Amino acid sequence: MAAGIRLAGMKSFMATETMVQMHEWLAVLTGSMVQAALLVFVWVWAPGLLAYALVGALSYSVFLVGQRVLNEAAYIRVDHKLNELYHASPMSPESYFLGMSTGILLAYLPPVAFLAILLEILHPLGIVAALTLIASLLAVWAFSSALGYGVSTRFRDMKTIWPYSSLLTNLFGIVPPVFYPLFYFESSLRPLALLIPTSSSVALIEKAAGMVSLSPGEVVLGAGSLAAEALLLLAAGIYWARRTAREG
Amino acid sequence: MPYFKQSVSVEALRAENVAKTYHSHGAPVVEALKGVSLKLSRGERIALLGRNGAGKTTFLRISSTLLLPSSGSLEVFGNDVVAHPEKVRPLIAVVPQEGKPFFHLTPRDQVYAYLRARGIDRATAKERAAEALGQMGLDEVADMMTITLSGGQKQRVMVATVIATKAPLLFLDEPTIGMDPFARREVWESMRKLTREGSTILLTTHYLDEAESLSQRLYVIEGGRVLVEGTAASIKQQVGGTLKVSVTDGEKLREQLSTFGEIVSDGGTVNLITGPDRINEIMALAVNAGLAATVGPVTLEEAFLKLVGRSIDEDEG
Repeated sequence: MAAGIRLAGMKSFMATETMVQMHEWLAVLTGSMVQAALLVFVWVWAPGLLAYALVGALSYSVFLVGQRVLNEAAYIRVDHKLNELYHASPMSPESYFLGMSTGILLAYLPPVAFLAILLEILHPLGIVAALTLIASLLAVWAFSSALGYGVSTRFRDMKTIWPYSSLLTNLFGIVPPVFYPLFYFESSLRPLALLIPTSSSVALIEKAAGMVSLSPGEVVLGAGSLAAEALLLLAAGIYWARRTAREG
Repeated sequence: MPYFKQSVSVEALRAENVAKTYHSHGAPVVEALKGVSLKLSRGERIALLGRNGAGKTTFLRISSTLLLPSSGSLEVFGNDVVAHPEKVRPLIAVVPQEGKPFFHLTPRDQVYAYLRARGIDRATAKERAAEALGQMGLDEVADMMTITLSGGQKQRVMVATVIATKAPLLFLDEPTIGMDPFARREVWESMRKLTREGSTILLTTHYLDEAESLSQRLYVIEGGRVLVEGTAASIKQQVGGTLKVSVTDGEKLREQLSTFGEIVSDGGTVNLITGPDRINEIMALAVNAGLAATVGPVTLEEAFLKLVGRSIDEDEG
């Protein structure tokens, strides 16, 4: 599939999306409110866990970027019909999907960078942990964006979409061990948690930063599933973008 | 116009027996198109007319690679729309029905960004954005946030975005909806200019004056089929006359008047569609009955109502 990907127009559409999102700066800020609130609670009740919560907040924030793709893709299609303007043009459908995803990621990077700086101050990462953090977060973004884009194409009404966005965010960002460390999770269910991109990314970053210990098998399971799910969803997202550029 | 290098076809669009049936889950099956055929030559301006749900937008979306037909074939400049949409898309641009620009961009940024996404270089994109916004009368608001503009201005931004592409084939689905009469005329003039420069335009509209003023040919679509095709003049001739006599409070003369042509009532006024040779008799009849009567040409709207009305009656009968 990679050889067949056409990225014509992607850079321009990415810039367009970044510009559009940056004008909604309040949304960028309020997008960090849940993480900020949880961090405050952890700081007050269990300050020793703040570094873990910061790693969780990073993964959650990046997952949320993908859910912005869900809302933006649906809004552009349902309310503005701008998808038709772009699909009936030389810009490829995969450029539309990837341009939107990367554009939104760029707009939402400042709060993510702020959290990363806080983490670095609280718990210096080192090169390996920093690279693990970047790779893991990119994988979470790819997974979440493709999931968000796919879900966005299934609805004809914005009101129907909102609950799904909320459901996905809570399912992937709050319930599994994202804001709390893996060792607090029921041990028999840990392999399951490592199959969830958000919690596996957190576990891998925390392992690389020396915050938790994982067995070699858990590392392989977490890294393997995270990479496989990200690549699979990205490929599926590109396929779906092409498929839905023209309705059947 | 580098696009034309891809094809030497003189036909901008050729559609043969295009049909579309919607099978939505939990909804009744809808036959939106039942075999539409039409041709557009390069440089033509054609309007599709029809009631809501007649199939105009479905046809436009199929032609512009946004929807797959159930059967039939379509070519844009000789390229198969179904098999090779990627060859068609560089040759077209679309104003979607009820489309809206990005609210958090300025009109200038919106047009420029779209042209850049289509692969047009920076300098040309900048120049064309300014030109298109000027043609749409948006100079003064070009650098304001689009969300602050009126509905009509937003619609003009959509049209500006598409005409700035100078694509060889433009699909415009109700492009002037919500615009004031001045703005509509600016759009018409831009379309005429584009076709003079070699572009081809297929539009849908519910404004019959727009269709008549702008289009060289018209297709009236009813119930998923082409009901009638031709120039505005030829379509008007198909309703049994070129003149309309309006007799105020003429109900009491309805039976006598019906012997002169087809009658369309409008409130208390009886409108009679007829030819020029019977005008004197009709006027004499009205004057003798003490009623006021006026004579004027049959409008496209009257012809449309008559033709589509006949078709509905036949289907129901």
